Amino acid sequence: MSESFRFITTIAKKEIIEFVRDWRTLLALIVIPLLLFPALFIALPMLLQSEAAELDALELDVVWQGEPETDLLNLFSETKLNVSLEQLPSGLNNLSDIGDEQRVRNDEIDVIFRLQKVNETSWTYAIIHQSTSEHSREAMSRILVQINGWEDGVINATLIDAGLDPETTLDPVQWDGNLDSADSSTKGEQAGMVLSMFIPMVIAIWTASSAIQPAIDMTAGERERGTLEALLCLPCSRLQLLAGKWLAVATITSTGVALQIGGLIFAITFLASSSIIGVPTISILSALLLLGAVVIFVVMVVAFELALAMKAHSVKEAGSLLAPAIIFIMFPAIFTQVINLDGIESWWFAIPLVNILIAMRELLLDRVIAEHVVIWLTSSTLYAAMAAWYAAKQFKREDLVASIS
Amino acid sequence: MASPMLNLVGVAKHFGEIEALSLVDLQIHSGQIIGLVGGNGAGKTTLLRLMAGVMEPTKGTITFENKPVSQMRKRLGVVPESTGLYSRLTAWENIRYHSRMYGVDDNDSWNRVSHFAKRLDILDALPRHTKGFSRGMRQKTALIRALAHGPDILLLDEPTAGLDVTSARTVRSLVQQLRDEGGTVIYSTHHLAEAHQVCDRIIIVHNGTIRADGSPNELLELTDCESLEEAYVSLTADKARARAEDDAKEGKLSRWWRYFLTGSTPKSEVVEDE
Repeated sequence: MSESFRFITTIAKKEIIEFVRDWRTLLALIVIPLLLFPALFIALPMLLQSEAAELDALELDVVWQGEPETDLLNLFSETKLNVSLEQLPSGLNNLSDIGDEQRVRNDEIDVIFRLQKVNETSWTYAIIHQSTSEHSREAMSRILVQINGWEDGVINATLIDAGLDPETTLDPVQWDGNLDSADSSTKGEQAGMVLSMFIPMVIAIWTASSAIQPAIDMTAGERERGTLEALLCLPCSRLQLLAGKWLAVATITSTGVALQIGGLIFAITFLASSSIIGVPTISILSALLLLGAVVIFVVMVVAFELALAMKAHSVKEAGSLLAPAIIFIMFPAIFTQVINLDGIESWWFAIPLVNILIAMRELLLDRVIAEHVVIWLTSSTLYAAMAAWYAAKQFKREDLVASIS
Repeated sequence: MASPMLNLVGVAKHFGEIEALSLVDLQIHSGQIIGLVGGNGAGKTTLLRLMAGVMEPTKGTITFENKPVSQMRKRLGVVPESTGLYSRLTAWENIRYHSRMYGVDDNDSWNRVSHFAKRLDILDALPRHTKGFSRGMRQKTALIRALAHGPDILLLDEPTAGLDVTSARTVRSLVQQLRDEGGTVIYSTHHLAEAHQVCDRIIIVHNGTIRADGSPNELLELTDCESLEEAYVSLTADKARARAEDDAKEGKLSRWWRYFLTGSTPKSEVVEDE
């Protein structure tokens, strides 16, 4: 084992051990990334489903004002709406006029349904409701569904009375067969398309944000706690010190990103079993290039954040420097989601950060375009080298030692 | 006379426009305890950092056995003023980390460490996290860490600052033992009595210059004083400056911003006593 390698691995190992000894760090590093996507994709839909079922089971109170229509009244009672009949109040400007009606507001009833017959084939109606009450919203939604069904019946009856076929009259141009069977993209490609819309963004934002804490802790934190001077007295060079710290931050960040992707894959597999989304199919070459893109991205972001954190004299100052810097990573991450990949110009693959994020999108779609790969690989390696050079420059600064007091 | 182990020739150190050290010439031979004595901001820490190879001199050269000191850091042991212990690691882990960086096997390191830990009475504390350590325990741990790889020269920046009487005495006694075993210790302090008690040679640093260099008796003879304290006062009669690094580290933008927010600091008028 070369001396340089020993220095770098010893520094990295110590940094990682020291970092993960804090249980709060472990929580932020392992539990949150691992649970984020399962929570979003599995637990949240389950919660929404259970809430919807709870609402479905509710019996809601409706006051019907106006002449009752038997068919509609029957439809209401089928959907657990308890209807009580009343006369339509006088003096209303229109049916939506609340007037001095307070019963809905006081939660005595859930909604007031007003219906007025205009002639034999038309009616006007309004629902007095309270948009901030879930019960009132649910009652209104059930009434609207039943009114639509009743309205369809009325339309069909009118058309039949006029000697017309309701289906050809209302829907004269129709799709033949199944929409999904007409899609030439495979399920795997479709899944790749969906994932390409957010995986690059997740990787970008998570890498940038999860590297902040260790980057600050291992640079400005060391400076503030007074441990940096003892470290600089060791027989390793500043570059070896930087490499060791970079390796530690990159390992911690990659672990976080890997766990998050693991959680995402678990959630996708769960959803795939419910046929909501498929498992993406990409070639080995695309997968390897994707891995390479992530590695280059991590090299660049971690080096950049270490450099900025080392520039700061305190943890507070480092936080002030790095927090806005994250925006410079988040904006391209969001921006690249809307770029159209079909016929994209090659120069996009030379723009810092944007290039690697677009490359990830292309690779998730299993598109390996040689020209694009050469451009993003070359330019990103150059940017990563520049970030590493900048970090090395910060680590070699003399005032790094002079300002320790 | 044998060639010096550590040789400083015409060494000067500037921080921006501020001269922290000016043209220092020093020869350090083995088997001595050398005390760097001076007030706050005198330049002791800067001189120690230059000797430790963590800073490059602006002018002059610093060599260790005729090689640049930055290439010979394996032969040095350093205890900075802040001790530099990681609070989430145990005392032994802190020491082992440095030992590994010096390429020392863990078993060899433990043998040396346990010897010094017994001597300093902190053997039981080695498996404990350093978070709750007292200043004295931190200083002792840092001292053992600096000794674990068997350095030829030990550089100590105010090693007894903030220690209780017993701990300070133990540290001084260890330093003397190291000297007796042939080691070389460079020891910065602003306690003259301590320097007198421990050091074979005292170097008085003031405003970035060396005002005197010799044994305690030689300093007394040089100044014709009866005590080292009187000798020190006579050698450093000019007003002490502020810390050079503190002045140098404020950037132009920060200075402008401070001025923008608070205005200039009023200059007090000095009223001379009649």
